[in-house]
Amino acid sequence: MAPDKSTEKKSAGMEFFENVYRSIFRYGRIPQDGEGASYAVFNNLFLHIHPVKVSRHSLKFTYTFGLGVIATSLFLILTFTGVWLMFYYYPSATEAYGRMLDLRSSVDFGFVLRNVHKWAAEAMVFFVVLHMARVFLTGAYKPPREFNWVIGVILLLLTLGLSFTGYLLPWDQLAFWAITVGTSIAGYAPVIGEPLRQFLLGSDSVGQEALIRFYVLHVVILPGLLYVFLAVHFWRIRKDGGLSHPSENEPQDVAEKGAEL
Amino acid sequence: MKKENLRMQQPEMDRRQFHSRLGWLGVAASGAIAAAGNLLYLKPAVDYGPPTRIRVGRPEEYKEGLKEIYENERIVVVCEKDGFAAISVKCTHLGCTVRTSDSGFECPCHGSQFDNDGFVTGGPAPAPLNWYQISLTPNGELEVDKSVVVPSGTYFKV
Repeated sequence: MAPDKSTEKKSAGMEFFENVYRSIFRYGRIPQDGEGASYAVFNNLFLHIHPVKVSRHSLKFTYTFGLGVIATSLFLILTFTGVWLMFYYYPSATEAYGRMLDLRSSVDFGFVLRNVHKWAAEAMVFFVVLHMARVFLTGAYKPPREFNWVIGVILLLLTLGLSFTGYLLPWDQLAFWAITVGTSIAGYAPVIGEPLRQFLLGSDSVGQEALIRFYVLHVVILPGLLYVFLAVHFWRIRKDGGLSHPSENEPQDVAEKGAEL
Repeated sequence: MKKENLRMQQPEMDRRQFHSRLGWLGVAASGAIAAAGNLLYLKPAVDYGPPTRIRVGRPEEYKEGLKEIYENERIVVVCEKDGFAAISVKCTHLGCTVRTSDSGFECPCHGSQFDNDGFVTGGPAPAPLNWYQISLTPNGELEVDKSVVVPSGTYFKV
């Protein structure tokens, strides 16, 4: 009698957790059969970035070197470390430099977060450019992916914008003069130059107004836009038929491609 | 014949199309107005920057031939026998602070060179250094107004 009771109790508890698990993962444990596995991937927000079927060619590491994934991962790292830095950073002309020094020397692990943020930022620009070069060299910008190339260019500009706006925030001599020179260069653009400079600086020279404007651009507007365009970028990879592959423009593949769509 | 006439009389767009276009026009117009409002909001209306009028001491504190540099205000006050002049030390190329040199001023950033009157003698600077207006305040101090640019070579007798 007794063993029966205990198993009944256990199964009730198990049932609860199983219900919770099933409410999150509709297909229970990862199915081993092809169709079940496909549905599991298809119905998972994170996994459905991949098509249910991946061509053998796409799995070859040396085709992409994972450059886009690396750039995206770096952006996630930058978001995480950036939010944590925001707990101590204060965008004020009198406070900012001191807060940066405190992060570097006093706050526990502050120097780690700051340096990870710094190096991930440098690396993100580097890998975004490499990713762009890979896409160019493999001809992945060609139709039907030509619009995703345009989205990619927007992402590159947003990355550079983030890099530029973040540069002012330590509020040291390097930052001050770099932004003085950088915004002056913007001022040379025909027609929109001077209004653009005024919009960025909020004043005639680099000061408190410029700091708060760069801060808002750096922590809210540009990352927000980047996430939106990143989502579109990923979505288009799927809709444009996954990674480019050499055989796709050959005539015997056209019928197969039509079936895919 | 009658049918032809009817077709001729038919308007180019029907009622549904007209209202649809009117609706889209409304959406576009309100979008444009909202965009203009947002841009206007971001245009700096109040200048929180440093003051444009700077007091630079009394005239009797200056000797002829003296050049007094005000680093934070980014001007140099020059005293000559013709009077006083205030010359900007903000490079006209990309806004770095120029330093005095044997022949006038030079910029550490990209190597622009200026003579003693601020005219460009070399480098990428596109325009001469600004000269500003100087006046005497009622209590006898020199006041430079950086919002008033005067022609190069204008000395003020006070």
